[in-house]
Amino acid sequence: MTKTILAVDDSGSLRQMLAFSLKAAGYGVIEAVDGQDGLNKAKLQQVDMVLTDQNMPGMDGLSLIKALRAMKNYQNVPILMLTTESGDDMKAMGRAAGANGWLVKPFDPARLTEVVKKLIG
Amino acid sequence: MITNDMSPSERLNAQVMHLLSGVSEHGDQHLAEVERDLVQMDVLLDEAIKKLCASFMAIHHAVDLQQEALNVLLASGKPAPEYAARFEALRGEINQHVGAAVTGLQFQDMTSQLIGRMVQHLAGLRDVFGALDTTGSVLPESNNEALLTTLSHISDRVGACCTERAGGVRSTVNQRHMDSGDIELF
Repeated sequence: MTKTILAVDDSGSLRQMLAFSLKAAGYGVIEAVDGQDGLNKAKLQQVDMVLTDQNMPGMDGLSLIKALRAMKNYQNVPILMLTTESGDDMKAMGRAAGANGWLVKPFDPARLTEVVKKLIG
Repeated sequence: MITNDMSPSERLNAQVMHLLSGVSEHGDQHLAEVERDLVQMDVLLDEAIKKLCASFMAIHHAVDLQQEALNVLLASGKPAPEYAARFEALRGEINQHVGAAVTGLQFQDMTSQLIGRMVQHLAGLRDVFGALDTTGSVLPESNNEALLTTLSHISDRVGACCTERAGGVRSTVNQRHMDSGDIELF
């Protein structure tokens, strides 16, 4: 069965490149334009993994992770941050919020799919 | 307005107020130009990335179809081994270029963040120039104490502008190259 990944980013071109890379590797992709949109879509359909940006209008990535982790069905779903931020303090906040990993933009599709495969197969 | 019948102290006060208003007005004009250029740059980059992404997707789709056709040809015929090896090597090269293009095409995410940050700072600078504006203000009385009080009020307004904006500015983008970033699993 195809694994589905929720890709949350306010940049349309970034979402397009994420969807392209993940679909090429055989995953299904649901796109969301910000944290709130991502939360709504995660509630509508259970996904196998979440990839989220940090800086977005409205709900940011850290708030999305906290909201997802508060839901029973998302407590064990891998969540990765994909962001331009690379500071240790931000990473620590991500980790505390419940993120499973931190990817600094821009991403390389081969390395990204390698990490995704490691986490959800 | 500075006139000859003013005392030296009055002239100094008027000159300071005139200078502040001039800085405010001209600074604001330059800011408006920079803001307009930044907005235009953002629009152009947005259109460029949409076209680049569309072309990239179309090229990738066409190459996929071409590879499928080549696979059929290779399977149905008896190609020389060197051609089969060459096609395989080309497939690897194409995949490498596709990966590099996907990384490169993420530039607009970063440039739009930087432009957004610049616009926030320009808005902050506009507030500062606004705080410096003394147009319509009553000239301080002809003593240094009054001028100092006026300057102190202006300084307070400038300080308040900086404090107000400091919290709202988004963090900067530190990437200096379009190479793929670090990955850390917790």
